[in-house]
Amino acid sequence: MKKLTRRELILYLGAGLSTLTLNQLLAACGVKPGADTSPTGQPVSLTPPFTPTPSQIATPVTSPSSTVTANGTAQTPNIKQSPSQSQNPYLVVAHGGQPEALVRAAINGLGGMQRFVPHGANVIIKPNICVAYHTYEYAATTNPWVVGALVKLCLEAGAASVKVMDSPFGGTPTDAYKISGIQDQVNAAGGQMEFMRAIKYAVTKIPNAVNLFTTKIYEDILKADVLINVPIAKTHDLARLTLGMKNMMGVIEERSILHFDLGNNLTDLNSFVHSTLTVIDAVRILTRNGPTGGNLADVKELDTVIASPDIVAADSYGATLFGMKPEDLDYIKVATRRGLGRSDLSNLNIKDIPVGA
Amino acid sequence: MAPDKATLKLPARQKKDLYPWRLVRIGVQASALVGFIVLFVMTKRGGWSGSLVNFPLRLSPLTMLAQMLASRTFLAGSSLFLFLVILTLVFGRAWCGWLCPMGTILDLFSFKNSRILKSSPPENWRKAKYGVLLVILVAALLGNLTLLVLDPLTILFRTFSTVIWPALDWIVTTLETALYQIPVLNDPISALDNILRPTLLPAEPVYYRNIFVFAAVFTTIIALNLFAERFWCRYLCPLGGLLGLVSKVAIFRRVVSDECKNCGLCNRVCPTGTINPEKHFSSDPAECTMCLECIPACKRDSLVFMPKFAIAERQDYDPGRRELLASLLIGIPLAGIFGSDALVKTPYPTRIRPPGVSEQELLSKCIRCGVCIRTCPTSGLQPAVFEAGLSGLWTPVLAPRLGYCDYACNSCGQACPVQAIPPLSLVEKRLQVIGKAYIDKNRCIAWADNRNCIVCEEMCPLPDKAIKLSQEQVTRPDGEIVQIKLPQVNRDTCIGCGICEYKCPVSGAAAIQIYTYSPSST
Repeated sequence: MKKLTRRELILYLGAGLSTLTLNQLLAACGVKPGADTSPTGQPVSLTPPFTPTPSQIATPVTSPSSTVTANGTAQTPNIKQSPSQSQNPYLVVAHGGQPEALVRAAINGLGGMQRFVPHGANVIIKPNICVAYHTYEYAATTNPWVVGALVKLCLEAGAASVKVMDSPFGGTPTDAYKISGIQDQVNAAGGQMEFMRAIKYAVTKIPNAVNLFTTKIYEDILKADVLINVPIAKTHDLARLTLGMKNMMGVIEERSILHFDLGNNLTDLNSFVHSTLTVIDAVRILTRNGPTGGNLADVKELDTVIASPDIVAADSYGATLFGMKPEDLDYIKVATRRGLGRSDLSNLNIKDIPVGA
Repeated sequence: MAPDKATLKLPARQKKDLYPWRLVRIGVQASALVGFIVLFVMTKRGGWSGSLVNFPLRLSPLTMLAQMLASRTFLAGSSLFLFLVILTLVFGRAWCGWLCPMGTILDLFSFKNSRILKSSPPENWRKAKYGVLLVILVAALLGNLTLLVLDPLTILFRTFSTVIWPALDWIVTTLETALYQIPVLNDPISALDNILRPTLLPAEPVYYRNIFVFAAVFTTIIALNLFAERFWCRYLCPLGGLLGLVSKVAIFRRVVSDECKNCGLCNRVCPTGTINPEKHFSSDPAECTMCLECIPACKRDSLVFMPKFAIAERQDYDPGRRELLASLLIGIPLAGIFGSDALVKTPYPTRIRPPGVSEQELLSKCIRCGVCIRTCPTSGLQPAVFEAGLSGLWTPVLAPRLGYCDYACNSCGQACPVQAIPPLSLVEKRLQVIGKAYIDKNRCIAWADNRNCIVCEEMCPLPDKAIKLSQEQVTRPDGEIVQIKLPQVNRDTCIGCGICEYKCPVSGAAAIQIYTYSPSST
């Protein structure tokens, strides 16, 4: 190999640096891949085939909320309201069976996975794998068979790829993926577990935010065609319960500051990072010492799975499992007021499916 | 004429390049260095088993002997050092020339063409390494291991874990982040990161305090090559000194035959400069690293390495009665000074030790290799610089603001080569109390600012949380009456893991901190 002269080396380095600088300048001018993503995080060109008209926007909105929906792009809580699918229930509760059977029943009840996962879609499933401390029995992390069943359903619906990820706050991701049991079930179902990589958190502006104006959000989540949110239902001393909306905290880098004005922050985040489908795992719920758990006496077996495209409705129903009303949770109140979704459970078309043992 | 010159030169060079044993040595050196780095990389949570990755650290007879002397205990795992003793009894300081990763690095950065000194430093400088060795052993006999920070393997491992790898990680992350901004590179960079993390580089960035100290020690050792080739190995390395003493009776020796015509070519290539023109180009087995560079250099084939049963000739710089006396005169007071440091009696209030450690045992066993520091997944374990006084220099302490003790992890005890940190099961480890959390109510968001926060409670990993919240009605400075959840620590159950301090959202020092705890204190 010819030896580089110093002059040539400097020349090449200079060329490389100027390419980088040019790119940064272009990015600063807004010519950036992120620019073509809609405020819901769905790339415009990839928006699923449902294009609801403004008239289908669900909730009666008291002023500031119209900001969330005014964009006209995929406001998905309304998907099921579109005429062709009007017979589908708004929310499904399946109970009394094995985890996989519960998930299958719930998703079938909503009209099948193909309703949410277009053929060839890239799907990301976001379970709650918050710590590496305990196995699934302790109900601190999402039930592995619930996650596995969702992976299978997505692949059956024709998804091109199904990736599962979370960013634990206690312990290493390697440990957490393994100990939670989720890694095994995802691999067995044909999905991929992915570590969330530091380089992929991008500073993102949240349009129409009330409190959380900019934050670092995981890019792949924003780029995914379909995002399935699979929280486990458990207690949390500030939020009272952590369900679907709070589970989305796992996709941003700076989390603890969200605790101040949790209601508006979670609404801001979830209005931007839109869960196509929320599936609440209430197979085993944690009733005390959440979110980390560790004591089987705090765990209650409910053998229940809740599914809805409306994250607020799903969380509202989740609250009732703990003997609470939706309005007991501040963030549900704020999200409802701002039009992120509905919490008036009595007015919703809720389908109850007993699966049987 | 140019072509003639080339043909004239060729045989000598060719001879050197093709000398098979030299190639074998370079191969062995490279494999040993790569092996050391591979084992280093796999020293981590989720890596290979502790007793496998720590085996290079157990090879050094210096650290193992010192550790046995100081703690008056014998560990079966330490007997691995006998391998090195036997190797040395047969082949002399072959460890230094063939295996030692530090030696190989010094060969890589030999600065052959930029040497500052024209001739080698005086021969009696070689005494220094014996001096260091004897002082280490004398201090160890009195229970002090501070000077083991000078063992080459611990220096290398510590530098890799606190300086080289974190810096490498930072550089890679920075480059990746910059290149990731270019859309077409998204997938390749993503794939690259997939390969690198968490296999080679840490999943999360790691940070170490006083990193410049470790960097300076290592850089100095390499920079000394500017004065003489393998300066460290010739004049300073205490492990080299110990192996040198053993080499005095080693079987294989360099023997110069009568063919020698005193041309001095061998002398010029010897990396340790031990070939003595005044003594018929013979060498001291205690200095010879068996690198075999001199054999291809010799035009007359007058050199052989062959078995020879005899005690090597005494050199002027060899340690004698006088040196032994001097090392006692230095080692004993030094141990005294280290031992009477006030920090031994009243340590830093934040001197948090790894789980299961008894202070006395740690100080008499810890060889300061930094394996535990490397294996800690949160990089919470840091080399102590001031916390534990001089007798605890570079022993592990937990700095919770930098990283917490992971409730799912027991790696440090499993990986410690000398059980200075006991090898506890995860169940046992979770019961160890390493400190206790205290809330600074003047700075706590809930107590001082009357805003709900609860992060410390949320993070507490105990099945029955050691941080409890009590809902209180408080009047804020502006007169507003609010309901606030105020955190309190249940000191009976707190284990001091420090995740609360790590995650506390107050900027700068946390509003909840871990302080030392001893069962006898209240």
